[in-house]
Amino acid sequence: MSCWRFDLRKRMLPYLEARLSESETARLERHLLDCETCRALLVRLRAGHQMAQRLASLEIQNADAPDFEAEMAGFTAAASQDRAPGLAWRGWLDRLATPRIVTALSAVVLLQLGLLVVSNRGVLLGERSRASVARGSIDLAEFRPLTIPELKSNTQPHVATEGYVEDVHTDQDEGTVAFKLVQSPQNGSSFVVCEIMSPIQMASPAEGSRVRVYGVERYDAQENRNWYEVNPVLGIVPLKP
Amino acid sequence: MALKTRPERAPEEDHLTAAARRGEPGIFREIYNTYRGRVYNLALYSAGDPAHAQDLLQAVFLKVFRGLRSFRFESSLATWIYRIAYNEFREHHRRRKPPFVPLEAVLGSAHEVDPQPNSHDQHARRERELIIQRAVMQLPFHMREVVVLKYVEGLSYDDMSRVLRCAPGTVASRLNRALAALEERLRPFREFL
Repeated sequence: MSCWRFDLRKRMLPYLEARLSESETARLERHLLDCETCRALLVRLRAGHQMAQRLASLEIQNADAPDFEAEMAGFTAAASQDRAPGLAWRGWLDRLATPRIVTALSAVVLLQLGLLVVSNRGVLLGERSRASVARGSIDLAEFRPLTIPELKSNTQPHVATEGYVEDVHTDQDEGTVAFKLVQSPQNGSSFVVCEIMSPIQMASPAEGSRVRVYGVERYDAQENRNWYEVNPVLGIVPLKP
Repeated sequence: MALKTRPERAPEEDHLTAAARRGEPGIFREIYNTYRGRVYNLALYSAGDPAHAQDLLQAVFLKVFRGLRSFRFESSLATWIYRIAYNEFREHHRRRKPPFVPLEAVLGSAHEVDPQPNSHDQHARRERELIIQRAVMQLPFHMREVVVLKYVEGLSYDDMSRVLRCAPGTVASRLNRALAALEERLRPFREFL
């Protein structure tokens, strides 16, 4: 089974080198407890890292490279060889840079820019459609659609769940944004917590908006928590209220 | 995320940068003598053999010397030289893709390799390290470069991202893929290594 926590995978090598902060280490280790895929990857990375570290002892000494005088002779020869092609290329450029050709090229570039703006106006206006989430190689079918109450009996890690956004909270220390996703504005008792990790660069949804979250489900059993979380890994899609 | 490795600016860097800014005579020689080993090192990993590595070394320093007048000192001198070297190696790789030779063809299959070849012998240790080096040289170019920049040159993620012109996150992903590929490549030889 695959895991979508690309943000945590990028921290595995710094983790092996003990260069993560305590909170980052704890977060990665919490995930490793739950994720067999990442545990297997970590074992492979550790082995690769240990082998690659031995390359440093093979460092080639300066003496292996030719000395300056020997190289200068080569530079002189190489410089005289490639001067002619260089000048020929510049001559070509000069001949091409006539006002008529420059105007024609500018018109083509402006036309292309216009087409680009028209074809991407949804993205430029900040809209995120379902289609934009579905693009690429990620299979949305791996995200099991569930209502918030159904999450309690779910056994699959990747889920898509819908609800209303409440209590958006930014943690400056962790660099994360968390919010509650409630089944309905009237029924706040049925909720999950969603935590957006900054490296994913996912925009925080507006409070009160209705969204669908594609994420990884986990249960936070820490004291004073004891709640289900769906941490967005693929996207947060705005829905009509 | 704290991703620094080691201080990337060599002590001589400030002196060289200042001298290059002033256009001091003899600065080419100093730059060459300071960086030739590192560039040659990278070139050897990139080209796979000393003859091609020397050609690459020459091509890189030719561009460094020609470009020095227009270098605006917005990045460190080392990063700028690494960047020129990386571009040159990438072009070289496009022009001449070395034939893939399986490690087993060079060393024999894993069960043919003696797992205890006089383990105290320094020569044997170097042999093992050369196996790892050969496996790195067989990685795809974009993986090989990131491994060499980190493990041979000791660049930080930030400096690697400047040399490779990609985000630090991309560097981290490439390193993960490269190390996983290296592990897979050398798995049959783990006992020996």
